[in-house]
Amino acid sequence: MAALEFGVWNFLGFWVLGFGVCILISHLDRKLWRDLNRMKGQAIAVALVMACGLAMLTMSRSLIQSLESTRAEYYEANRFADVFAHLKRAPNSIADRVAQIPGVAGVQAGLAVSVTLDIPGLDEPASGQVRSLPDRGEPDLNRLYLRAGSWLAPGSRGEVLVGEAFAKANRLKPGDHIAMLLNGRRQDFRIVGIVLSPEFIFESRPGAALPDNRTYGIFWMPYEEVAKAFDLYGAFNYLALRLAPSSGSGAAVPAATRPLAVPAGGAAGETPARQVAARRAAPLHTSERAVIAEVDRLLATYGGRGAYGRSDHPSHIRVSDEIRVLTTLSIGFPVVFLSVAAFMVNAVLSRLLNLQREQIAILKAFGFANRDIVLHYLKFAFVIVAVGLVIGALGGLLLGTRLVKMYEMWFRFPELHFQFARSALVAASFVGVLAAFVGVFNAVRRAAKLPPAEAMRPEPPANYRPSLVERTGIAKFLSHTFRIAMRNIERRPMQALFTVAGLALATGILIVPNTFRDSVKHILGFQWDVLEREDLSVGLIEPTSAKVTHLFEQLPGVVAAEPFRVTPVRLRFGHRTRQLAIRGMTAQGIQTRIIDKSMREIPLPVNGVVVSAKLAEVLDARVGDLLTVETLEGKHIVRSVPLVGLADDLAGITAYMERFALNRFLEEGDVVTGANLTVDTARRAEFLRELKGIPRVSWVAIKESLRENFRKTTGASINLIQMIYLTFATVVAFGVVYNNARISLAERARELATLRVIGFSQREVGGVLVTELVILALVAVPFGLLLGTGFATGIISMVNTETVRLPLVLTAHNYAFATLVVAVASTLSAILVLRNLKQLDLVSALKAPE
Amino acid sequence: MTSEQQPQTTIAREQVFRVRGLTKVYGMGTAEVRALDGVDLDLFAGELAVLLGPSGSGKTTLLNQIGGLDVPTDGELWYRDMELTHADEAELTQYRRDSVGFVFQFYNLIPSLTARENVALITEIAQDPMSAEEALDMVNLSGRLDHFPAQLSGGEQQRVAIARAIAKRPAVLLCDEPTGALDIKTGIVVLEALQRVNEDLGTLTVVITHNAAMADMADRVIRFADGRVQSIRANTTKVLASSLNW
Repeated sequence: MAALEFGVWNFLGFWVLGFGVCILISHLDRKLWRDLNRMKGQAIAVALVMACGLAMLTMSRSLIQSLESTRAEYYEANRFADVFAHLKRAPNSIADRVAQIPGVAGVQAGLAVSVTLDIPGLDEPASGQVRSLPDRGEPDLNRLYLRAGSWLAPGSRGEVLVGEAFAKANRLKPGDHIAMLLNGRRQDFRIVGIVLSPEFIFESRPGAALPDNRTYGIFWMPYEEVAKAFDLYGAFNYLALRLAPSSGSGAAVPAATRPLAVPAGGAAGETPARQVAARRAAPLHTSERAVIAEVDRLLATYGGRGAYGRSDHPSHIRVSDEIRVLTTLSIGFPVVFLSVAAFMVNAVLSRLLNLQREQIAILKAFGFANRDIVLHYLKFAFVIVAVGLVIGALGGLLLGTRLVKMYEMWFRFPELHFQFARSALVAASFVGVLAAFVGVFNAVRRAAKLPPAEAMRPEPPANYRPSLVERTGIAKFLSHTFRIAMRNIERRPMQALFTVAGLALATGILIVPNTFRDSVKHILGFQWDVLEREDLSVGLIEPTSAKVTHLFEQLPGVVAAEPFRVTPVRLRFGHRTRQLAIRGMTAQGIQTRIIDKSMREIPLPVNGVVVSAKLAEVLDARVGDLLTVETLEGKHIVRSVPLVGLADDLAGITAYMERFALNRFLEEGDVVTGANLTVDTARRAEFLRELKGIPRVSWVAIKESLRENFRKTTGASINLIQMIYLTFATVVAFGVVYNNARISLAERARELATLRVIGFSQREVGGVLVTELVILALVAVPFGLLLGTGFATGIISMVNTETVRLPLVLTAHNYAFATLVVAVASTLSAILVLRNLKQLDLVSALKAPE
Repeated sequence: MTSEQQPQTTIAREQVFRVRGLTKVYGMGTAEVRALDGVDLDLFAGELAVLLGPSGSGKTTLLNQIGGLDVPTDGELWYRDMELTHADEAELTQYRRDSVGFVFQFYNLIPSLTARENVALITEIAQDPMSAEEALDMVNLSGRLDHFPAQLSGGEQQRVAIARAIAKRPAVLLCDEPTGALDIKTGIVVLEALQRVNEDLGTLTVVITHNAAMADMADRVIRFADGRVQSIRANTTKVLASSLNW
């Protein structure tokens, strides 16, 4: 009878349960929303951290994609050349011979001359480069883009096109007039159009580390007008080539071109094989190498200064370097952020789900399979991840669009299109979803392993023991609150470890943005206060007798003048080469100094060359090695010079020699190409007015305006990026701390409520919660600072290009700031959580745990 | 039996709680639940009162009100000359800290503190506490001072909870189903401890239970149903907890 009854009840129970399950399935999603609503604070914190990582990743990847594709399209549409060459002068017929070189698809020969400018309202002398345009029709290569105004009228006289950067810096519009000294003769020109050129995406004086668009510009005029002014009619001094698309591989190079690699100038002591090998570093196409060699051979007798490919083109290098830096940042930063986010999503979900232990047991008792439960909680996690992804994608889009505007400040593209990097979104989504999945899966698996009946019972009191600290014998000095905290930490070392890791990561990522800021600040100070102590530098149109120094010394306000000699060379070591300028400096110079890694001044010896440490790295050369120096101007000289020192300069790559030694090497007398001057500030205006009148002066670089310019452009942009990163880091720090405190509160609600019931005040109970957090934070912060130092070192060292190198500058201020942010975030989180303590249900503590 | 039939012996005692028309309503409108529906009750110093009643009868709600864990919707609730009905959060905390000891069904010990420390936790904040050792001795746990809750049986844990509750020498000891999670044997050990405390310290002890067998150890038995006091019965002779059986 009893058995029958049991059977009936079982049967009934089965149906009731089954019915319940049917209803529950549809209600399960409702539970999901309510759970989310209840935990919205934590859910939002997790979503925001995810969003930060994602925004950063999509932002930087989008910027890279935007820059790369915009540049590629621009190059293609405006037929940017592949190989470039400057020379003294050659008859136009030589250009036809260059066109015959196998692998060459197009040739554009023209003139490039330096001019001095007189800009109304500008105190200092300005200079520029004038490029010729064919008298009829568009140039075949390096075509211009007309931003405003009109093209030059055929056969026009006295008209000029102006590069946009210079026009903007000086507020020049079509219709304005500008005075130029062409070959010493002052002429007035009417600006008819504002243009852009793929050759000058980055407009800067050759060799200058930083642009000063106010005092240096690029201009275009009809060939005839330039040629006649400089007595170059029928000749060219500048050449651009386009390579045939099919000649991309070595196999495509006709055998006939290979012997041409032997330099016609007859490099003394160099074997042909070594010459060929030395031409370029590995990535260049054999065909480009062969074409460059042949061009050099053809132009050698016409004062060729060495042809070079895009990878040596100043403007191209700048854009590529920027992309490289962005690439570094787009990997370094977001990887750190996304790992923190993933880590947090994982940790938070697994702890949140632990709190749902009983609920999971109930669902299981109702007959839900583990799979259904995992699916349910995955939905819960994915809602959070999805919110993070949407906010992150929108953030990345918004920030990317804004930062693209910043690049418009540096780089002159017809239009810099913002392109959203969908692949980054996909990658980040994958990381987020994976983190959520692992977090959910582990927690649910743990809960699902228990038989439902057992899981529904309150957890037995956990096993504790006196903490390590107490066992040292100081137990009697410790408060109960402290003991509770210490024992809790020791009982769950993994959880404590996760919290410490989260906090340490949050602290760590706060270090990086400020390291960038401090590093830029250091460059500004180091470059201009330690290395270049002159007030301004003056450049001459051509090498001039050193006596010109006296002329400078007599200008009003000049306190000291130190002449220099700069000449373009090709530097070679082994099979690696670089084209750059050797700076011949005064041996015991007080203005411009060369400093090594340990901040010691490197004295320039009578014989030998000092190079930028970065250049030595590129050439794989060490002090004591013999570098081959090949002149690219004047007499063609190829000779070995010992490398005597490595300069720790931060921008560009340079070689330094003692001025007399350089002139001896060039087999020239005591000539200079410019001077560094110290000028009495009070008389600077007077000095500049006088300087404007000296026809041989080609350019002047005023340190303060360069520094100001740097501050306004690079400095401002780095500050913007730093602000973005700092905001993200702060959000992450806050998110980690807040979530930790909230979950601790939830996990220990019963214990804390009991304390409240037996007479502890809110503050005292808060103390129990906060003590543990404080202990963990105290452990985490030093680790975080260490971790941050590691991140910063890694990321900064990746920003190590030939254009710019960031020194690793770690200041106490930076560490203090990171600590402060974490402290403030922790305090605010603690306050928020303590406010939640008020809502702690004291009555529930009396009941059985649910 | 009604409240008018209280034995003479209790009248002379000091009145600790005076409850008049106490009402507690949860929810609003149609969802309204009257957990307490006009309770009148007096509780006296030194007595052991057992509140009997089925689930949902309102006994725990009443305990929460007199323990200062919840505020009533209506009515009067006096603890000596303090009106708990109008006390603010800080006053209620102070009241719980100084005057009330709680014993819960699931012990609610702090798992990370030893028996001695769980009790000492209270002695740190109380006005005139006994030592943790003394309190644990009263519940016969002198031998388990340095054990953590996980190392103690259910009955032992509950006795630690009692020691924790009495260590501050409270005027009132409120116990909600103190034996609810225990077997008979262990339950009786716990009740013995409660009885000893009540007798030795003269603490007003209120025990909530749905176990009618426990009524015999009480001075008075208050029956609850539907949020009201149904009856109050004074035991002329109390039995020892050790002789209870259920």
